[in-house]
Amino acid sequence: MSATAFRQVTQDRSLYVPAGLFLVLLCAVAFRGQGLFTNNGLAGAILVATPLILTALAITPIVMAGRGAVDLSVGPLMGFVNVTLITWLVGNGITHPVAIIAWAVGLGAAFQLVQALVIIYVRVAPIIVTLSGFLVLSGVNLMVMSRPGGVAPDWMLSWGAGTSVFSPVLLLLLGAFAIWGVLRGTMFYRNLRMTGADERMAYTSGVQVDVVRIIAHMVGGVFAGLAALSYTALISSGDPTQGSTYTLQAVTALVLGGASLSGGRGGALGSTLGAINMFLISYLLSTFNFGTVSGFVTQMAFGLILVGSLLVNVFVISRRTVA
Amino acid sequence: MGSEITVRMIDVAKAFGETRALKKCDFEARAGEVHAIVGENGSGKSTMAKIMSGVLHPDAGKVTILGEKVASPVDAKRVGLTTIFQEVLVADEASVFENLYVGRDGVFRSQSTGDRRTEAAEILARLVGKSVDLDQLAGSLPLSIKQWIVIARAILRKPQVLILDESSAALDLDSTLRLHAEIDRLRAEGATILIVTHRIAELVRIADRATILRDGITVGTLGKDEITEENLLSMMTPADRRASDATEYASRKKALEAPLILTATGLAAHRSARLFDFDLPKGSIVGVAGLDGQGQDAFIRALAGIIQPFGGEVKVRSVDTDKMVPLRSLDDAANLGVSYVSGDRKREGIFPQQSIFENLAIGVYRKKLGPLGVIRKPTLKPMFKREVDRLRIKIGSPSNRITSLSGGNQQKVLIGRAFANDPQVILLNDPARGVDLGTKRDLYRELRLFAEKGGSVIYLSSEIEEFIGFADRVDVFFGGTLFRSLTGEEIAEAPILAAMFGKARDASVDFDLERTA
Repeated sequence: MSATAFRQVTQDRSLYVPAGLFLVLLCAVAFRGQGLFTNNGLAGAILVATPLILTALAITPIVMAGRGAVDLSVGPLMGFVNVTLITWLVGNGITHPVAIIAWAVGLGAAFQLVQALVIIYVRVAPIIVTLSGFLVLSGVNLMVMSRPGGVAPDWMLSWGAGTSVFSPVLLLLLGAFAIWGVLRGTMFYRNLRMTGADERMAYTSGVQVDVVRIIAHMVGGVFAGLAALSYTALISSGDPTQGSTYTLQAVTALVLGGASLSGGRGGALGSTLGAINMFLISYLLSTFNFGTVSGFVTQMAFGLILVGSLLVNVFVISRRTVA
Repeated sequence: MGSEITVRMIDVAKAFGETRALKKCDFEARAGEVHAIVGENGSGKSTMAKIMSGVLHPDAGKVTILGEKVASPVDAKRVGLTTIFQEVLVADEASVFENLYVGRDGVFRSQSTGDRRTEAAEILARLVGKSVDLDQLAGSLPLSIKQWIVIARAILRKPQVLILDESSAALDLDSTLRLHAEIDRLRAEGATILIVTHRIAELVRIADRATILRDGITVGTLGKDEITEENLLSMMTPADRRASDATEYASRKKALEAPLILTATGLAAHRSARLFDFDLPKGSIVGVAGLDGQGQDAFIRALAGIIQPFGGEVKVRSVDTDKMVPLRSLDDAANLGVSYVSGDRKREGIFPQQSIFENLAIGVYRKKLGPLGVIRKPTLKPMFKREVDRLRIKIGSPSNRITSLSGGNQQKVLIGRAFANDPQVILLNDPARGVDLGTKRDLYRELRLFAEKGGSVIYLSSEIEEFIGFADRVDVFFGGTLFRSLTGEEIAEAPILAAMFGKARDASVDFDLERTA
């Protein structure tokens, strides 16, 4: 796994910046020495970072499919899965793990299927469709659950303890990577990249671009479901509003990871690196004492680093391709 | 040779909004033949090719390919029809290998790649003339190789019916011959090859039959022996336009003795190239030729103020002061009355989202501003009408998007944009690329008129025939520098070609040009 990841980084120029930033941040965190590299520290880090990593993964295939299809609905979708899980399932005594997981994954995929069908057959710009999804779900979430509350199923409570690196949350993450790994080997993945790179070419060459787009959305939905599970484990309850904040963070992670919002370029490794980098940035900043403004400082740092990494990409790395 | 009919179109019609691209199209092609589809710009050739490929759906009529209906590119793939479109459709972010096999499999089913790699490497090497690394990103390759990737992609599919839609437009002579060898090979295997082309010399050489389209109607099909330039032209062009011919472009040596309007001294296309000087007499037409990448493109851009040359200076005679003034930027070019028309419509020409009117008028807005910088549209209307009439641009409503026009008519709009500025010098960078003969003639006539009224023209072209009987002087580039200037009787196919290949003045040319006649 790490060997293939290494080869990918050395081959794919778009991963230079996120990988470099990752190493720099890692060194900085090690230098500040606040105990990230202990069992508890890592376990906590995985628990906190996983929902963001998975939401970033959830928008990755959709962005890769092109047409500027940034899925804005992913945050509220995660929140929707979270509140319905707590209110409708746990609230009615359904707590079996299989039922919970099936609900999360199925609901995510089903919602994305609807969005994909609207995008393809109503021919509305993807960003409008997903913006509507964002607004609708943000409202629906508050209708399902008006304020944070409820409890996660008993078996899930231990997930959020954050005492062991090898927690079920890590399994969730590895499961998601495994799904991606399998997809990468399929024709679908290749067709996805070609569709995103040049939809006209893919269409005229006989790629079933509509089918590819539908599947890309559904795969994204599955990841959104997994993200919702890890998020539920993290907060051990339901929260109708917090999910929405993940949308912009996921998009930031995606771009930090070197994906192109116009499609064709991107991947799980980049998005994961982007999400981890964001976690490391906020972790690093939390070791300083900014008092009450620390949240604002973090946001500002995300923005500056995003712009900075795009500039490095444009002026240092892409230049070399031209020459 | 088979005689089975593979492609059949009956009474096909297709409209885009108000533009009726195809009115009544009947067509038949057989197995084992090369069948050319010829017509002017806007006559519906590309639309016909797109309907056969399943990209467009006809409004009326019946299309069958190998006995089946084709409603989408996926269908086309299934029946064994492959199209090489005019645009070079290559995904820059993907490897050469992925580009070659895009769309070959289903959504999930994947095949072993071992055999494919050898096959792909072999065919690409044969086409390009040297081996190409299959794993490099397509985006890092030059346009000429991308073009071959697109062609190789089609050939790798072993098509029963192959459609080439202006696919050879960007290829040089040597590459065209290799493409023709490939077409011969496919024909021998019993495939049907349909060639949509403007290059009459090309189709005279390789087509077995030719179907001619005029204004969306198929006006007839010629057999091998009937395919001559005369026959094709008379069928393609409506009667009222046949009058114009070469005699009106009698060579004018006088033009070259007029005072200079533009001079360039000590120019070089790149650092290692020999320095050269260039001058343009007022009222003359100077052709610029050269093989791809010999510096002529950079030269004409430097004259237009788009790029900075490596050293040297460009000067243009100012209208106001009658003194030679340096031209260093696009602003200088605009002030000195130097207009530039690019042949690369997509990247340097049209605004695809804007109307035909906007596309033509955009260059003159700043001269026609009213109080508070408001554009006074009514004052522009007569100008628009004048240019549309003069260049015989076929348009529906001026407010339609420019993309509703055919490529040749789009090009005419761009030339109209240049004329609308009342320039004293017009620079044309291969404007006739992918443009049919009728349009070319309209263009030559207008440029000639422009020159007679004292305007000066620099005309870069990749097709030698264009200069003959049209240019007063032809400057040939070779090795990044101005290699030779040809005038008078030297403006003929053989001397120009010899100079393009860097041959000395009197050396004979080995190219078999008679084969095209």
